Amino acid sequence: MSAIPSAPVAGRSYTCNWCGAVSDGTALSCPACGAMINIKDIVTPTGWVEVPGRKDMTKLQVGKSSCQIEGLYVPVADFNLSPEDSVYFAHHVLLWKENAVNVSMMSMKGAWKRALAGMPVFMTQAKGPGHIAFSRDNPGELLPIPLQSGQAVDVREHFMLVATGQVDYSWTNTNIWFQTKNGDETETHYPIGQMLDRFTAGKMPGLLLLHASGNVFIRTLTPGQSILIKPTALIFKDPTVSMQLHFEHPGVGMGGASLGGLLLGGLMAFSLRYLWLRVTGPGRVAIQSAFEPVEDNGRNITSHSPATRQNW
Amino acid sequence: MVQPAQNVSDAVERLKCNWCQGLNLKTALSCQFCGAPLDLKDVVSESGWREAPRLKDMTEFHFANSTCQVEGEIVPVAEINLAQGDAVYFEHHVMLWKDPHVPMSTMQLPGGTKRMLAGMPFLISVAQGPGRVAFSRDATGELVALPLHPGMEVDVREHAFLLASYNIAYSFERIKGLRNILFGGQGMYMDRFVTTNQSGLLLLHGYGNVFERTLKPGESILIEPGAYLYKDSSVQMNVQMQQLTTGIFGATAMSLAQMTGPGRVGIQSMYVHHTTE
Repeated sequence: MSAIPSAPVAGRSYTCNWCGAVSDGTALSCPACGAMINIKDIVTPTGWVEVPGRKDMTKLQVGKSSCQIEGLYVPVADFNLSPEDSVYFAHHVLLWKENAVNVSMMSMKGAWKRALAGMPVFMTQAKGPGHIAFSRDNPGELLPIPLQSGQAVDVREHFMLVATGQVDYSWTNTNIWFQTKNGDETETHYPIGQMLDRFTAGKMPGLLLLHASGNVFIRTLTPGQSILIKPTALIFKDPTVSMQLHFEHPGVGMGGASLGGLLLGGLMAFSLRYLWLRVTGPGRVAIQSAFEPVEDNGRNITSHSPATRQNW
Repeated sequence: MVQPAQNVSDAVERLKCNWCQGLNLKTALSCQFCGAPLDLKDVVSESGWREAPRLKDMTEFHFANSTCQVEGEIVPVAEINLAQGDAVYFEHHVMLWKDPHVPMSTMQLPGGTKRMLAGMPFLISVAQGPGRVAFSRDATGELVALPLHPGMEVDVREHAFLLASYNIAYSFERIKGLRNILFGGQGMYMDRFVTTNQSGLLLLHGYGNVFERTLKPGESILIEPGAYLYKDSSVQMNVQMQQLTTGIFGATAMSLAQMTGPGRVGIQSMYVHHTTE
């Protein structure tokens, strides 16, 4: 698992279950990510951890600036930027700002490739001092991801809400794709997008805020442990977590015994196929409970990225 | 500890609601005019935005001789128990259910053609008491109860109002300036609700969470135009283009609405991205 901090703190210490940051545990919430302290995490027997409840108006400290999270259905991230700090974001998430906060454009590395992949080419940058607030347009959870120096996460495109200036933004190819053929037309599909955003903290720790739809669940996979998830439910993963496609073909039920029924069932089952994303540890993987349908349509897949298959 | 009233002044002491300024009995747990909890502190962010009071499930409050009960919390329903002689008006698509015997009519509006061309509701429906009618809108959000005292004027983003009581006058305000219309993200008109010498209830539905801020005279703030929900009519709205430049690709612009006080401004956190249709 990538660089979870273990900063020694003199005397009393508390290690946050959510982000791993070490604090003295005297506050009501973790100073790095806002998760409540001293509450039992809700863990399902399968090992998914629900993102800890966050009190309304929780304040996170990041460098000399702070961020307050307001509202519960469609939460707002309200930054109080100090003069030396900045944040960057896709311009459509800006909710309001004070007149004094300066916004400018920041161009990205590899803009041309990004444009071809349908990813944002520009980010908007805001410089302190002053207040500026962000929100996205669907109900869900705000997910603070504090990044310690050198720590990185891979995030599915369009999930990023805002990141502080200390966080470097690059991208990596997902290498998850499949092609379908319809007549002479071949179409390439990218179930989790062609690229993943990679956020890395440089010399200084930084804060990344994501917005996901519905509720968020996170799980830490041990080395070699793998699970199958709905591709469109993926939010982020540690860079150490590897991904692969997995096709699953359900078996034919023997209940209806007649030959015709068996044939028909076989035909239907043949065209029925589940498309999964297999994620393999070590590392964290996070999913959202509200996700879009996968573009698959049961069509004829002619080629695909490396995949595993299961015929029942 | 509850103390028995010591003297006459205790007996008439009233609890003032911070949201709507209504005066309540000292024993009340929620405001009888807007439903805001009276036993909870206001939730205010450091930057000065106040969260609209979270109306507890099944909270009941009053207007004229009728009552409104708020049901549910994620997509809340406003259930109105209309008294004889009371009426509410609304856009018909927000109606959730009604008693069969509650009479319905439509309200004649001035400027019908203009409104139709502007894509605003041409017909406003009216339900008359006695009986129950319930309303909700199709998205996660909050009900915002704005009791209007006599002599108030409130501007509301079009289609954001859920219902208003019959003693509030309904009109519409043309948004001034081509730039405000084109880039303001809310069309050509805003609903305007005015009370003369009677008070009334205005209920809005905001997408996501709703926040309010009171601007001092001359104080201003820039907000995403789609986030605008309501304002006192004393607040001036002016859409600004924010120029964003980069070295390589030239310039692009982003529009933000500048709101200048005095008065209240309400915003919603899940804002509407208007497509050009």
